Amino acid sequence: MSGRLETIGVVAQIAFRNLFASRLKTFIVGGIIFFGALIVVVGNSLLDSVDASMSRSVIGSVAGHIQVYNSNSKDPLEVMGSMSMGDPDISQLDDFAKVRDSLLKVPNVKSVVPMGISGALVTSGNTIDLALEKLRGLVKKQLAATNDADRAKAASLVAAEKGHVRQIISLLQGDLKNAHVLLDEKAIDPEDIAAINRASSDAFWAAFDQKPLDALEFLENRIASLAADSDLIFLRYVGTDVQTFEKSFDRMKIIDGQMIPPGKRGFLFSKYVYEDQLKLKSARRLDLIKEGRELRGETIAKDLDLQRMVRENVAQVREVQLQLDAPQTATFRQKLQTFLGATDQDVSVLLAKFFATDDANFAARYDFFYKELAPALELYRVRIGDVLTIKAFTRSGYVQSVNVPVYGTFQFQGLEKSTLAGGLNIMDLVSFRDLYGFLTGERMAEINAMRAASGAKEIPREKAEAELFGTRQTDDTTASGKGGTEKTAPRHITATATPGILPPSNEPGGILAEKLRRDEVRGRVFNPDEVKRGVVLNAAVILKDPKKIPQTIEAIEAQGKADGLPLKAISWQKASGIVGQFIIMARIVLYVAILIIFTIALVIINNALVMATLERVKEIGTLRAIGAQRRFILGMLVIEALVVGLIFGGAGAVVGAGVVKIIGKIGIPATSDIWFFFFSGPRLHPFLGITNIIGAFVIVLLVSAVSSFYPAWLAMRVTPRQAMAEDE
Amino acid sequence: MTMRRRTFTIGATSVGLGALLARPRLALAALSHEQMVELLKVVDDRQRNNGDWRANAYLEQKEKDKVDVVYETEYFRRSADQKFMILFLKPKASAGQGYLRIDKNLWFYDPSVGKWERRTERERIGGTNSRRSDFDESRLAEEYEPSDEGDDKLGVYTAYKLLLKGKPGLDLAFPEIRIWIDKETKNVLKRQEYALSGRLLRTSYYPKWKKVFSESKKADVWYPEEIRFYDEVEKANSTLIQIRAVDLRPLEANLFTKAWLESKSR
Repeated sequence: MSGRLETIGVVAQIAFRNLFASRLKTFIVGGIIFFGALIVVVGNSLLDSVDASMSRSVIGSVAGHIQVYNSNSKDPLEVMGSMSMGDPDISQLDDFAKVRDSLLKVPNVKSVVPMGISGALVTSGNTIDLALEKLRGLVKKQLAATNDADRAKAASLVAAEKGHVRQIISLLQGDLKNAHVLLDEKAIDPEDIAAINRASSDAFWAAFDQKPLDALEFLENRIASLAADSDLIFLRYVGTDVQTFEKSFDRMKIIDGQMIPPGKRGFLFSKYVYEDQLKLKSARRLDLIKEGRELRGETIAKDLDLQRMVRENVAQVREVQLQLDAPQTATFRQKLQTFLGATDQDVSVLLAKFFATDDANFAARYDFFYKELAPALELYRVRIGDVLTIKAFTRSGYVQSVNVPVYGTFQFQGLEKSTLAGGLNIMDLVSFRDLYGFLTGERMAEINAMRAASGAKEIPREKAEAELFGTRQTDDTTASGKGGTEKTAPRHITATATPGILPPSNEPGGILAEKLRRDEVRGRVFNPDEVKRGVVLNAAVILKDPKKIPQTIEAIEAQGKADGLPLKAISWQKASGIVGQFIIMARIVLYVAILIIFTIALVIINNALVMATLERVKEIGTLRAIGAQRRFILGMLVIEALVVGLIFGGAGAVVGAGVVKIIGKIGIPATSDIWFFFFSGPRLHPFLGITNIIGAFVIVLLVSAVSSFYPAWLAMRVTPRQAMAEDE
Repeated sequence: MTMRRRTFTIGATSVGLGALLARPRLALAALSHEQMVELLKVVDDRQRNNGDWRANAYLEQKEKDKVDVVYETEYFRRSADQKFMILFLKPKASAGQGYLRIDKNLWFYDPSVGKWERRTERERIGGTNSRRSDFDESRLAEEYEPSDEGDDKLGVYTAYKLLLKGKPGLDLAFPEIRIWIDKETKNVLKRQEYALSGRLLRTSYYPKWKKVFSESKKADVWYPEEIRFYDEVEKANSTLIQIRAVDLRPLEANLFTKAWLESKSR
């Protein structure tokens, strides 16, 4: 035993001497190993930190630890949305109460949140449509007013909005005149010119109050259709029991307004969507320029993106202008003239000059915009407290609309800038169910009855022509002439005019009186039981012990089977779709990179050692001649490689750890929204995992050992005679 | 834009038809442009009422792996100013929703939220594969330029086959249509509708035609009792329209207004 130790001591001594003797080779090989170890430690620590922060964000925002949904669903569940616009096809869970009871039997389950995720296009008409809609609402109020005080109040509001509409029409008239100059005369319908001239005439507005509804029809149909702008926003929302949701997900935070009260219909905008989609574009761009300059240190002079936003702000002043009525336009003119020291009369020119910001004047103009101009503008298309109309095609194919009051905005901490997760808004579960249009038995029966009454025959596409045109129609409806047989000359059945089918419009209790009054529906408080019972699409499960996700998934599915429920449970990584997979992808990329680096290292080290071995043939031969065994030679060379690996790899790991520590203190700033999302916040503070250091060590030693085998094997075959021959 | 409407008398129509049919046509003798336009005018005129129109229609939309969507609707039109309205009566969930077309606007109204939405001519009515123009008066001669594609057999019928290209500057649901017109009765039997790209979107069949005497026109008005649409993009989808009861008495003067449709659901 002691002999062996002695041998190792001698081998190590010789190894160190050799390494020192061929310093250059040692440093080249060592340098490669050093950097390899550094990359393994730093890369893995960064990934672990991103993984940890992202999982915190994803679990704490909407996914929970486990998601449960109907196992009969066609598509897998994706709570964060996917690259495609459509949502996956998920079968419904009929009674959430049963699902919840079943899940709570599983010991590790802490709480269960009912959910459904869907999306709808929300359209807002063009600017004139919106102004006219407002005016129509005010006119209706005025017509319905029962006393003089209400009437006078409504009349003053109508008068103000009328001024606004007139201002918009005068802008549109200017547009049409310009188009007249720019385009071919024929491109503009003279009737449009006539209509807009009528709409901007004093006579028209003087007569407005005599027949306001008729005047509105004219404006809505003849004038508003001339404006081409309109907006389509695609909103994704999660319908849920909002109180349970707020309790279960710690990353959710109300930013503006308030939480939807218990038992009320309501909508919360994601702060990101609210800012990005609903804010006045000019203001949004100012915010983004400010963010770029202050957070990321960009300048308008150098950054192409900021320049583009400045250009767009200069070119698109119309959106601001359309919001102003005549007195406001005058105020804006005066304020802008004073601020800019300009003499232009046209507000659009003044606004364009104002928005032509550079690095020197940006801060001052930004402040001026928010202090002086913004108070007169509607900064958001939907304000907190407004009622939002969402129209969706239900699962059964019908159109359903609901009105939901907007209670406020919220964000998921750490996901506030993510287009995927930040794009998710929150809605009460009852409204969600209305929009999703779950097919109840009652509805099914109604559809079947209608279909039966129609007597319609289903004809498949490929048989259509033969079935429909195979025989001539006659008034003998039972004629079943075989395809292609000619009957006598066709005689067509004459339909008889029937008396009116609609109930007269003034009769109460007609077919449409079944519609609930809108305000009643909107304001009704439902009892919490209504939310707990009934249909959901999926449910988030929060665990007591998050480490036991796989075991709990098994337990949940087993419990579902026992209770006769078709439950499928998946981990949060799977449920978050592309978001959860990102981290797996990043790991694969890192490991592939490490593999490539070390393969190259292997080749280089191997080559360097082969060269070194060939140089040392004489020395090795001499050692053999004085009685060194082959094993001794092998050991000597492998130990040399291991020593290099240990020293340089160790140094690399230590330096890597230091780098991680330093970065952890400072934090890596997120330079764009996508990094903000990966870092789950404005900065990533990576931490050091002991496993990363051990891992780096193991890899380095393995690589050094493997790369020294071939040269060592070469050295082993050196005989004393060869060594002597070298000399001659 | 008001169209200059040429009100055909039956006489003029017959003359046009006579001219069309007097010369014995060889099976593939091409129609002249005038003859084709004349033919489209006949097709249009047979379906035109020159007054008010109201009918009850049943819509059924079949889609792959989905429950059928069915509607009972009333639809109204007024020849004088080309106004048009569809009102949904059943199922309960859709009752009171409606489309209203005035000038170049197509509005959608939903009483459950009390909101009007501007839609386009490409809007699929109630999510089915039908468009506003499928219910409205036929205006082929005004909206399209025809070219002749010879004769074609459809079952036991022989039909003129024409390719119609939409005239510029009009918002049409289908910029290009192939149409099969029964030689004997001048009823449309089949249509194929294309997108601007030339992609086939829909094949439609009109197997049953009925007529009803119109007081305002002093002649018969023809309408298809059944229309079948086969979706050519989503091959598994099809739509059926049944037009059931027709009523040609004059309608309330203010029927085609937002206020009227809103009043239906108060």
